[in-house]
Amino acid sequence: MEIRDALDALLQALYSGVLSGSVYGLMAIGLTLIWGSLRMLNLAHGALYIAGAYIAYGVLSALGWPVLVTFALAVGGAAVIGLAIQLVLINPILDNPGRDSASLIATLAASIVVQSAILLLFGGQTKELPPLLEGGFKVGTTLISYQGLVVIGAAVVCLLLMTIFLRVSRRGLAIRAISQNMDAARLMGIPIAPTFVVVMVISAGLAGLAGVLLGSILFFTPSGGFTPMLMAMVVTIFGGLGSVPGTIWAAYIIGLMESFLAVFVGPSWALPGIFLFMIVMLVLRPNGLFGLGEVRRL
Amino acid sequence: MIARAEARPWAETNWLGVGIVSAVMLLLPWGLTLVDGGNYFTHLIITFFVWGIVAQCWNLIMGVSGIYSFGQLALFQVGAFTTGVLSFSVGLSPWVSIWAAPVGAVLAALVIGLPTLRLRGIYVVLLTLAFHELLRNWVTTGPQWISAGGYGLARVPKLGFEHVLGPQYEKVFYYYTGLVFFALATYAIWRILNSPIGLAFTALRDSEDYAISRGVDPFRFKLFLFAFSAFFTGLAGGFSAHYNGSASTSLFDFGVMINLLVMIVLGGWGTFAGPIFGTAVLTFLTELLRAFDLYRILALGVAMAVIAVAAPEGLAPLCTRAFRSLFGVFFEAEYSPAPGPVEPDANADATPRDG
Repeated sequence: MEIRDALDALLQALYSGVLSGSVYGLMAIGLTLIWGSLRMLNLAHGALYIAGAYIAYGVLSALGWPVLVTFALAVGGAAVIGLAIQLVLINPILDNPGRDSASLIATLAASIVVQSAILLLFGGQTKELPPLLEGGFKVGTTLISYQGLVVIGAAVVCLLLMTIFLRVSRRGLAIRAISQNMDAARLMGIPIAPTFVVVMVISAGLAGLAGVLLGSILFFTPSGGFTPMLMAMVVTIFGGLGSVPGTIWAAYIIGLMESFLAVFVGPSWALPGIFLFMIVMLVLRPNGLFGLGEVRRL
Repeated sequence: MIARAEARPWAETNWLGVGIVSAVMLLLPWGLTLVDGGNYFTHLIITFFVWGIVAQCWNLIMGVSGIYSFGQLALFQVGAFTTGVLSFSVGLSPWVSIWAAPVGAVLAALVIGLPTLRLRGIYVVLLTLAFHELLRNWVTTGPQWISAGGYGLARVPKLGFEHVLGPQYEKVFYYYTGLVFFALATYAIWRILNSPIGLAFTALRDSEDYAISRGVDPFRFKLFLFAFSAFFTGLAGGFSAHYNGSASTSLFDFGVMINLLVMIVLGGWGTFAGPIFGTAVLTFLTELLRAFDLYRILALGVAMAVIAVAAPEGLAPLCTRAFRSLFGVFFEAEYSPAPGPVEPDANADATPRDG
């Protein structure tokens, strides 16, 4: 019996670890793209995530369209917010000397505006989204929902598409070129500002997708984007800033680590454990797991 | 070494001005007691003192030295809960325990600072945010003598001013205590900004490589400044806990952090007068706009965005300049605390000599 219990716990930890790892991956890939190319920490990322969930909720409760259409609209909506942030806030300060702090303030301001707008529109109560697929099945004591599998599948597909996009398409190659050496890329005639816009839209869309997908599994509130963003930052840093394969690996490692800590040590140990791990890691390997230094990124 | 008067502004103090300001500040609470018993306005000014100290300290970290730390509010809470636990749960006199607040905050700052301050900006953001979250978690779910069931310590002993001249004058003495702390912090920060340490940070900001090659060790300076600002932040936290009679976990809310950040950004990021100006504007504006409280945070966000894009140096320098250009004839050129790009000569002065 004891072996059974241990196996059940193991399965539970694996399932929820892969699930949260998928969502962290979607969140972190956007952060890492922005960091890699714009050299900027996007503090509005958590707000975009929660905006995706709330747009879906709003469309669904007001218009009652099919869930799949709603979800697509939410991803598009988050991308549009990202586009607005880029055009209104980031592009004007791109060439300022104090760009680091200005972009930090600007993205934080954007996240405040988005979050308080959501709070005004929807109120502070917890909300939830319906799943794409109802039901699930049991393995041992672990309940595996179809929605969970949808989330994992969607995340894996998106991450693969992202990798292919960055390696094959012209835009993807432009993003990689800029992230390797912005000045050289500019001299080769790669349009910098339009590429930044593409990066921002993609990353905002992915954040919105993560919000929609997780919104049908967990409850959410207007400030609910903060913890996922913090975890995405952990993942981004753990994977080596700006490295896409590293980020994907790191997302699953961190997700699994979180759920194993929660199952085997105790739920209240998951976050502190991960942060302690981060501190130790940063002291030992400051460039992250797949830290590529300044030479090769993405 | 530095003989220019503008590098040592305290050498030519305008004693008349200092005297007038001190007299006004000392008499103000008594004047306010004549109006409506003075409770409300005095309370506002005491709030201004508390957040003014914290905003100045955070600006020292964020704006002046470019450490993107989001742990300042957590350090404030370390101060509040240190003295709260010592006076409420342990039973020390609040006049003794309040001095444990800055000490606790400095120790906490060293614990965060030692691993993080060697790292680049984004790491500092993450680790300080993590510290804030962990502390909030720990304080809310921690043992009874800290969390008192999740809301924080609801009955921190007050400083006992109601026994001096009676309860109606209690706030006057809190005002004086707050004024002393505020004046101490402001003076100390002013001296730091105009010291070799302040110049070292100007040098690091303008040309990091050159400053390092001239012997400025960024880690040591950053750690010192981090601990220094934690001292006054913790003191403000301790004072606020005793003044409000509680150490509340609701002060961990991000709304509070955003409010503080807007004070700094609005007033002028990295300037001396900016955070003071910003705190004053925000403290009194918040009270005026109580009726529109729902839209307040939205408005703060918009204001922050506008300033980040349109006026990155903040309102205080803008106002000063507008004032000068309007009434400039009446003033001689004065020393401006916002330093421009530093020439190599000035850099050499900023470099601390060994020995």
